[in-house]
Amino acid sequence: MMAKRGSCGLSLWLAVVLVPSVSLGQQPPADLESREEQAFKEASAVVAPSVVRIQTVGGLDRVGRVLTGTAATTGVVVSADGYVISSTFNFASRPASVLVTLADGRRFPAKLIANDRARMLTLLKIEADGLSVPKVAPRDGFRVGQWAIAMGRTYESPLPNLSVGIISALDRIWGQALQTDAKISPANYGGPLVDIRGQVIGVLVPLSQRRAGRTAGVEWYDSGIGFAIPMADILGTLPRLKTGTDLLPGLMGITLKAGNVYASAAIIDRVRFNSPAEKAGLQPGDVIATVDGQPIRRLVQVRNALGNKYAGDTISVVVRRGEKSVEQKIQLIGKLEPYTPIYLGILPARQKQGEAATGVVVRKILPGSPAAAAMIQPGDKVVQLDDTPVTDSAGLFDVISRRRVGEDVTVHVERGAARQKVSAKLAVVPTRVPAMLESVEIAAPDPKPADLPTTGRFNKSLAGHDNNFWAYVPENYNPAHGYGLVVWIHPGSNTMEADIYDLWKPICEQRGLILVGPRAKEIAGWNLSEAGFIEALVKEMQQKYNIDDQRIVLHGYSNGCRFAYHLAFKYRSLFRGVVASSGPLKVTPPENRPDLRLQFYLSCGDKDNLYRRVQQTRSRLAGMKFPVTLRTVPDEAHEYPPIPVLEAIGCWIDMLDRI
Amino acid sequence: MTKRILTSSFLLLLTLTWAPSLAVAQSIHSTIQRVQQRTVKVFGAGGIRRLHAYSTGFVVSRQGHVATVWSHVLDTDELTVVLADGRKVRAKVLGAEPQLDLAVLELQDKELDLPAWDLEADVSDAGPGTRVLGFSNMFKVATGDEMVSVLHGVVAAKAPLATRRGAFESSYEGTAFIVDAVTNNPGAGGGVLTTRAGRLLGMIGKELRNVESNTWVNYAVPISELKQPIQEIIAGKYRARQRDPDETNAVARYRPLEFGIVLLPDVLFRTPAFIDGVQPGSAAARAGLQPDDLILFINGDLVQSCRVFKQRLGRIDSGGVLKLTVRRGDKLVPVELPVPEKPEKPEKPATAGDKK
Repeated sequence: MMAKRGSCGLSLWLAVVLVPSVSLGQQPPADLESREEQAFKEASAVVAPSVVRIQTVGGLDRVGRVLTGTAATTGVVVSADGYVISSTFNFASRPASVLVTLADGRRFPAKLIANDRARMLTLLKIEADGLSVPKVAPRDGFRVGQWAIAMGRTYESPLPNLSVGIISALDRIWGQALQTDAKISPANYGGPLVDIRGQVIGVLVPLSQRRAGRTAGVEWYDSGIGFAIPMADILGTLPRLKTGTDLLPGLMGITLKAGNVYASAAIIDRVRFNSPAEKAGLQPGDVIATVDGQPIRRLVQVRNALGNKYAGDTISVVVRRGEKSVEQKIQLIGKLEPYTPIYLGILPARQKQGEAATGVVVRKILPGSPAAAAMIQPGDKVVQLDDTPVTDSAGLFDVISRRRVGEDVTVHVERGAARQKVSAKLAVVPTRVPAMLESVEIAAPDPKPADLPTTGRFNKSLAGHDNNFWAYVPENYNPAHGYGLVVWIHPGSNTMEADIYDLWKPICEQRGLILVGPRAKEIAGWNLSEAGFIEALVKEMQQKYNIDDQRIVLHGYSNGCRFAYHLAFKYRSLFRGVVASSGPLKVTPPENRPDLRLQFYLSCGDKDNLYRRVQQTRSRLAGMKFPVTLRTVPDEAHEYPPIPVLEAIGCWIDMLDRI
Repeated sequence: MTKRILTSSFLLLLTLTWAPSLAVAQSIHSTIQRVQQRTVKVFGAGGIRRLHAYSTGFVVSRQGHVATVWSHVLDTDELTVVLADGRKVRAKVLGAEPQLDLAVLELQDKELDLPAWDLEADVSDAGPGTRVLGFSNMFKVATGDEMVSVLHGVVAAKAPLATRRGAFESSYEGTAFIVDAVTNNPGAGGGVLTTRAGRLLGMIGKELRNVESNTWVNYAVPISELKQPIQEIIAGKYRARQRDPDETNAVARYRPLEFGIVLLPDVLFRTPAFIDGVQPGSAAARAGLQPDDLILFINGDLVQSCRVFKQRLGRIDSGGVLKLTVRRGDKLVPVELPVPEKPEKPEKPATAGDKK
């Protein structure tokens, strides 16, 4: 045996885990591989009595984009008195009834007891006793490279289905899971990952580093990238799950200064209002030094340290504040109050290319705003807010966005030669916007530069993409001015190009906008996978033209809105507004964020069948504290908005950079 | 699909770089050589609308009979087979069994004396955990005299491919070897699954999506199912199997009301089969069924919605007993109802059997 191993240069991982297989009255296996094969079968046979089949009845046929299956799925017995753990994925359809079939064929109706929403596990209970509980592999024994056998009970066969691989990595997905190259799919989600001794390493779940949710990570099925939550960890949370309350990922309410997550120190950028972090006295600028005694040197370590924490857990955090070290105990919570966007009520004059930034000149004071009450006037130049000097509108927005509704601020303005201080009480960004706003005149460049990019209406394609697009750039395009960009997301089966061009051309000229109309690959409609093209297209336009990044807007109509919403939430740092006409939002919106502002303008006819759902869309967006305006078009069915509404939309886009 | 390609090539690499003990390496090496000698590349129709124009086959007689998967690739007069040694031979379809996804080709060269599988002696069986090798010309990677690609994995399950009609969009419904390697790729159909010792287990099937779990399934049809048809086709005495009358077209013979069961209105795609009411004096009332009972099983099969329940009920046999299991609160309650006698509906004109 040793000689064989020595001579073959066998990868270490094969050698580490080999267990003498017990021959159950069979022929002694001839070689190493046969013995391993025998060991796979025996290990799975040891655990098989604890692997149960789960079937669901009723429920949704689709969760988001993912079709939910009706195939049988898998669970693992975790206590003899009828508790079974499984993957939350298996219940994504919210079934009416759940059935558990034990290895011996007995069948029981099951109750869903609770979910672990951080690790995407669900605990079930059946009225049975004396169940077979598997042995659990100790967490400190996991080695990358050791054999790992994934088990499921999806097929109509007395034996569980197997797939064999190795442990590929430990502490994945913020320390929550280990990774395996065994084939993991709906055929074994909820089933055990077993070591070669027949001990349960973990429970198989779909997970994704980038997304959260019931069906996240499913796209990786059978790819050689699978995840399992260590059973030892599950047993730790079992008592809490048994009480019937869902476990939520623990949040403390800070954001960290952007940087290289693997290199930069963890400096607190914002502390959320009313969050545990704020109550504990953490402050922007604090550097996180340790979490629960683990030293933090890089951003990513904070996420890892918190990955295994639940709402209700208390962590101990040490931060460095200047020369001092401050230690705080923080009890995490499951849900933070969404950020409420703050408003002073000024519309800044837009800087022309090459102008020096020495303050924010006021273009207009919005009626009824804190700025109006403080008697700030158009033409004033804001140079300081409280103690923070302000040189440009981005800086002013950043300072304001860190404040709270109702706070008093002192605004330093230059009016003519005089410098004045006025006091303003900050308010919430209003949902009603003035119907009229004088546009900013943009003169044609004089003299006309030689290298002016294409203007007028034109068709083009983008290198590296199958899709093409059309665009309209005002004929008097002047590269010294920043232009707003309207990305027209056409509805399925009709690009509406001629109409959109006719209707929007005057608005583009009046409001200083460039219109770009990407075309879906299939005329029938947009596929979400085309999002990358839209992103590339916007970046292309930014490169070719002087685009004001505060006024990049998606405009969808009818079923084009779904894709427009998708893009807005997918590329938060790119888009600042969504104009959705006669199309509801079908997914739960993310929370508003102070650093990436996003505003919505909805329009819909009150005779439109979708009107009620568009109204619901407004409530959902408002619930996440996004500024959202709904324009109801009287006596109109499912139609593209009429000219007065489009003019109001133009006006709204012209106000997107209000502060 | 890219992902599948990547996975497959990864597996391929793993196989190639895996150097176990010398003795084993010897045996695996000779196994692979032996199987590859008996595996051929099939080229035929396709190439448009993303249909691949190639598949794989395995030699089942020294005279040059090749078993392969029944697919669009064979739908041409210009069928060629490239042997393991690179020789290119024209072929024609000798016979097919669409229900098994099986076709047998005859090579148009009488002078061949090919290494061939012995379908009696070279065949084995396997259960979950058994290590297996898959051989196929997936993605047409091998050209000319290059050997077909080898994947390794284990048998994940040996189970019926379809627990009910429609679970898979496949004509094959019997027991299959389901594997944990991504064996079923474009062009892989007609390849072989063998044990590590080179015993033949099955023929790799088409690319197949399980519509119950919305995932791709990698499977092979056991040789035990294929042996007899292959031998009979070669002997020229094969008759295609009778296909069952298509269940979806079958007339619903029984309806819930005939048993006194009133179901909740079927409004969702998967409305659970809750009993809304039970007609007094009916079979359902005598069996003790109650409003709010949820019907879960009909004659032992799970019904996941009203729709499926009605379909199943429509197809039960005349006379005999209808066995239902309902969920009442937290209990599963089995009940039995007598099925009234009904004459068989006249058979629709037989269309089965006259297919290719």
